[in-house]
Amino acid sequence: MDPVLPNHHLALIEALLFVSKEPVEPGRIMEYLGISDIDEFEKILSTMEKELLLDHAERGLMLKRSGGGLQLVTKPDLHEELKEFFTVKQATKLTIASLETLSIIAYRQPATLTEISLMRGVNSTGPVKNLLQKKLIKITGRKQVPGLPALYATTPEFLIYFGLNDLSELPSLEELTELFEEKEQPSLFK
Amino acid sequence: MMETEFSGYQVQTEFFEGPLDLLLHLIRKNKMNIIEVRLSQITAEYLSYLEGKRGINPSRESEFLMTAATLIYIKSRSLLPKPENPEEESPEKQLIHTLIEYEKIQKISKMLRDMEYTELLLWRRLEMNENFVNREYELKEVSAFQLAEIFFDIVKKKEYEQFLEIPSKNYSIAKKQEEILTLLAASGYIDFSEYVSKLDSVEEIVVSFFTLLEMIKRHMLIAVQETLFGTISIFRNEASKLEN
Repeated sequence: MDPVLPNHHLALIEALLFVSKEPVEPGRIMEYLGISDIDEFEKILSTMEKELLLDHAERGLMLKRSGGGLQLVTKPDLHEELKEFFTVKQATKLTIASLETLSIIAYRQPATLTEISLMRGVNSTGPVKNLLQKKLIKITGRKQVPGLPALYATTPEFLIYFGLNDLSELPSLEELTELFEEKEQPSLFK
Repeated sequence: MMETEFSGYQVQTEFFEGPLDLLLHLIRKNKMNIIEVRLSQITAEYLSYLEGKRGINPSRESEFLMTAATLIYIKSRSLLPKPENPEEESPEKQLIHTLIEYEKIQKISKMLRDMEYTELLLWRRLEMNENFVNREYELKEVSAFQLAEIFFDIVKKKEYEQFLEIPSKNYSIAKKQEEILTLLAASGYIDFSEYVSKLDSVEEIVVSFFTLLEMIKRHMLIAVQETLFGTISIFRNEASKLEN
């Protein structure tokens, strides 16, 4: 294979990401381009982010890192017009029941249906089925207790759906409490 | 099912995800601190909410009723003198602990909702939903429940078929088991729907189905489903191995 010319890198990465349906692992691109230095690769990416995509209001795409990979996505402010053009209805959001179920699975994985139902105080068969269908969770095994209940965990699609790179990007429970406390703090000292 | 009155999807006017959601709502409404909350104080409000609902659908609201029972139990305990030692996990402490945990879940859900909102504004090469559909299927082990669902579907279909009167034949589980094992030895696997639809009578289907269930229970067979609502394939369970 001919060595890929460095000035060609940016164009090729852009083309790769344009064609790909799913986030592309940076490692795969680096290997193909023969780049072993992560800093060098990051430099190319930030050039792409800044000069080509982000800085210019006349461009419609931006670089997104999610699900452990790179992806080209449209800019958020174009959402309404895209919806109009493609005559797409409002994207279906997850129900609160599904979000609660997903919260438990994301933070406790792997979790069983019984554990989820106990924590929510409601039978959660419906939302678990729904999340399985959407591929946001999967069965990873069976708990070695009577009845061998299925254990559920999040999928790579979960990360992509919520724009996360990996699970460690979810805030810890302590961080979360602080976050909400700051928000909910009434303005006593103004 | 005796659900004629409540059939279909229910829309609740004052919607609470469950008893915990309602309890948290009442605690917040009364500006109580969740850690120091006296559950016996909000019991009355909780019960009046249940009373205010017109008709209780037992299958949907059993959880609300169960929590009501717990609340009444807690209240009755609080009226009695307390011989128990404070170290003991009282039902009140347990419920409060569950509530604290549930409050966290609500916070995480809110955060996920925000993240979902941000992400839904970004369009990808393929719309997310399509992306989901086109994914490769993972093989999933099927539960006896799913197997039963498919079974009843097939029996329903058979009911509408015309049958010729044939003198009844007695089927036995032992014979069926042999037959299934021979079939498996010959072709490697059995497509459940296909197999059952080829059988002659409802009686034979029932016997075959019970044989399959029995064999799965004894870990002689394994049932696998390729897609969520797809067909079920039955294999011999080589070594009855369990996933960890």
